[in-house]
Amino acid sequence: MEAPDEQLMLAYRDGDAGAFETLYARHRGALYRFVLRSLKDRPVAEELFQEAWIRVIEARERYAPSARFTTWLYTIAHNLLVDHWRRKGLVLVELNDEHASSDNPARQVEARESVARFLQVLEALPPAQREAFLLHEEAGMTVAEIAAATGTNEEAAKSRLRYAIAKLKAAVDE
Amino acid sequence: MSDDPKISGRYRELPREEPPRALDDAILAASRRAVDARPAPLVAPTGRRRWYVPVAAAAVITLAVAVTLHVQHDRPSEEGEPMTPPMKVQQVPRVEAPRRIQKPAAQPFTPEPPRADSPASAAAAAPARPASEETRELRAQRDEIASAGTRERAANMQGASAPAPAAAAGKVSVLSRLAQQSPEQWLQGIADLRRQGRHDEADKELAEFRKRYPDYRIAPAMLEKVERSRAR
Repeated sequence: MEAPDEQLMLAYRDGDAGAFETLYARHRGALYRFVLRSLKDRPVAEELFQEAWIRVIEARERYAPSARFTTWLYTIAHNLLVDHWRRKGLVLVELNDEHASSDNPARQVEARESVARFLQVLEALPPAQREAFLLHEEAGMTVAEIAAATGTNEEAAKSRLRYAIAKLKAAVDE
Repeated sequence: MSDDPKISGRYRELPREEPPRALDDAILAASRRAVDARPAPLVAPTGRRRWYVPVAAAAVITLAVAVTLHVQHDRPSEEGEPMTPPMKVQQVPRVEAPRRIQKPAAQPFTPEPPRADSPASAAAAAPARPASEETRELRAQRDEIASAGTRERAANMQGASAPAPAAAAGKVSVLSRLAQQSPEQWLQGIADLRRQGRHDEADKELAEFRKRYPDYRIAPAMLEKVERSRAR
């Protein structure tokens, strides 16, 4: 059984560098996509992604497992995004679709269009709704955890998530 | 993840992008640097601080040895000081013993110094040995000094009085009980015998007195009381 995130973070706090490597490998992709899809600038997304992990490293000695490590990690990322949005505003992020593959060119086009449409709708969501949706999909957070990570109440988090899903569903059903 | 599996599935169809390898390396390197830079108190110090440990250990050992030697050096003097008064206490009875013995001895009033072979001298020398033995004993038992001194005084007194009857048993057996008193008391006793009309006994006691104290000058008033012709 894999060690919980909180136990790994405590081990890293106590000097176990290997624990951080495990923790990073476990969350690097989801956090990266969360930041990348929340922004419209890949270099900025990578910068914020790195800054989020640096803050985790710097805050290790005062880390206390009062909440899930995931909530703490995405709270840091959320705060960085908020700061960024306040400074520059939101822009679209260029996403590569190189992973999409199919032997049927027609279906490839159809799938690419479907994914692109879904992505367009996702990127067009209001930042708060998109963030709630990304936290739900990438980090697997519940409504309560989304509220905690974004500094809002559960009703607001639930509303944001419901609106985001409704808009995306409308785009998929078209 | 989403309440609608279709939405969640569609989201999963999006590219699963990963951070660049260079970004991973930079973050992991930062995490290792942070751990390496963290002070480790249980690890032996390195570099300039390496000399702290041996110097501190040497200082502690030196101090401990110095204190130990100092304590051991001072201990005899500390123990010796309280021993001095008991030694004085012990010396007192030994010095006074002969003087005290002289009074009850056979020559309590003689102006001559007591002879070495006299019973009094023998009596004074007798308790000296037990006294020295007892002194050594008292050195080891500081708390019993007072009682031991008392015992020694009692022993001296006993030793002074015990030889006198022993000497009297051989030499003074013919003497009356008056002969064992002081010269004045002895003379007064003779005077009493004379007043009671016991002249023969008075003559015998007076003769014995003059034999014992040939140089004793009897006062004229007393002489009238103790001599037969004058008493009459």
